[in-house]
Amino acid sequence: MEKVLLTGIAGGQGRLVARRLLEGFEVCGVDRVPWEGRPRGVTVHQVDLRKKKFEDVVRTEQPTAIVHMGFIRHFRTDPRLRHDVNVRGTKQLLDHCIHYGVQKLVVLSSGYVYGAFPENPYNMDEDHPLSASRSYPEIRDLVEVDTLATAFIWKYPHIRTCVLRPVNILGYYVQSMIGEYLRQPRVPTMMGFDPMMQFIHEEDICEAIALALAHGLQGVFNVVGPGAVPLHTAIRETGGRAVPLPEPLVRPLFDRLFRLGLWPYPAGAIDFLKYPVTLDGSRFVEATGFKPLFGLQEIFQSVRRE
Amino acid sequence: MAPDGALRALADLTGAFVPLSLRDLASTLEDRLDKVPARLNEYGYDPFGMSPAAMRRALLPAAWLYRTWFRVETAGIDRVPEGRVLLVANHAGQLPFDGSMLAMAMLLEAEPPRLVRGMGEYWIPRIPWFNILATRGGQVVGTPESCQALLEADECVMVFPEGVRGISKPYRKAYRLQRFGLGFMRLALETGTPIVPVGIVGSEEQQPAFANLSGMARMLGMPALPVTPTFPWLGPLGLLPLPVKYRILFGAPLRFEGEAAEEDHLIEVRVEAVRTAIAALLERGLRERRGVFR
Repeated sequence: MEKVLLTGIAGGQGRLVARRLLEGFEVCGVDRVPWEGRPRGVTVHQVDLRKKKFEDVVRTEQPTAIVHMGFIRHFRTDPRLRHDVNVRGTKQLLDHCIHYGVQKLVVLSSGYVYGAFPENPYNMDEDHPLSASRSYPEIRDLVEVDTLATAFIWKYPHIRTCVLRPVNILGYYVQSMIGEYLRQPRVPTMMGFDPMMQFIHEEDICEAIALALAHGLQGVFNVVGPGAVPLHTAIRETGGRAVPLPEPLVRPLFDRLFRLGLWPYPAGAIDFLKYPVTLDGSRFVEATGFKPLFGLQEIFQSVRRE
Repeated sequence: MAPDGALRALADLTGAFVPLSLRDLASTLEDRLDKVPARLNEYGYDPFGMSPAAMRRALLPAAWLYRTWFRVETAGIDRVPEGRVLLVANHAGQLPFDGSMLAMAMLLEAEPPRLVRGMGEYWIPRIPWFNILATRGGQVVGTPESCQALLEADECVMVFPEGVRGISKPYRKAYRLQRFGLGFMRLALETGTPIVPVGIVGSEEQQPAFANLSGMARMLGMPALPVTPTFPWLGPLGLLPLPVKYRILFGAPLRFEGEAAEEDHLIEVRVEAVRTAIAALLERGLRERRGVFR
């Protein structure tokens, strides 16, 4: 039986992926926090990806496949620490893949790396430049991670490496920026803007990862869910109340508050509330036959508060 | 839900005072929008953000301009084939009424009605509210990627290869086609899309310009600054076009074969064929009309 190692296994999405992969793999994982009540047969090591102890785990566990999804995606930690964990942690992990005979690697990047810009075409494919750092420097570490992993595909073609760039992930368990944003009682939006947004359910992400492993996929793939709706429709359908704010006033304000640590989103995130970032997922569908199980209504239902 | 109810009551009230012909027009629009073949999701949006339901009210002014102000006449609209198609037309008249009238013609007179996709300027997505209206009406930013995605989705896309050169030209150059861009032909070859040449007669006289103050326009960050008999002298009122008679002539679809990546001069030969077809349509339209206003 193949053995798969998950980074970030104790996170909301990590736990779901672990349970899903148990059907066909031996599963172990690493995280900075423990996973209480994990299923039998799953071992979890509490390590830091940047430290030698992680290398020891890879050496002793000898996984044939690694799913890399242990990133810091929120802004509550020191930005330098975040950058170091995400970028240097990924670099170490790639090195371990080379040295310890890992055959398959799936990296869960995200669709945010393309960036939100007024000139964005609809349905961007995987060859679209990754420009997020231009307007949203706070997530440049995630762009670097994606770039590192993509370069790794070409440098070490004998390792089946697959970079997945999913659209906005929603679900009961996953801790995503967009989920956190939509769960606020009053949801700030930008006055006069209502961009189209694509969503995918957390269970469909598990399915996509399982398919990538099963097919031994190599390459970069957008992972797209059932469709797109305007932001305000998503807010309404998740039971929230949109509060449109004038952008020229709130951008400097949010910027100041974020720097003081009083507001959880950097100003660069505002562009994602103004301009569409919609992806074309046909490459992944053609390679794996992937079909999202959850429709838009079910996705919104899963994060709806009463 | 109180604001919604109040809004509906207000809409009903205004509805009661709107002239009967306008209410007729509104219901015709609704009916036509329902018949547009589109791939909408469960919330009524297509992948490009278009929503027929959101356009019901918004298109009324354009429909009124079409019927009452410009009294648009079309010829050969049944030549537009089903599925993916590029409508390539001449561009004139300082403000893009020619684009909205062409789109209206396809919505009100084509069978089945089509929602024409326009390739918008790069600054449109930055303008609050207007960007939402443009998106819901099926407009996208005019990048080659967007156009290709629309054609691959079997949409009807209109392009004006003269661009600003055409729409901002002074009246003394009326009905003289300016240089055509080549991008549309490469996209047509890439996606195997038939091209329908379209000649629009009337737009040249809607806002005859003596001059275009291009230096001043650049300073103000505008694409052009025309001087017409009414603009800028009458302020915003000067933006209103003259009630000229519009005629829109559709030519037979042209199908081209070849590689999208061919040299410019090889693409130009095919573009010239389209340009000639449009020139012939314009000539016919001008010959057949009895005057600028009738």
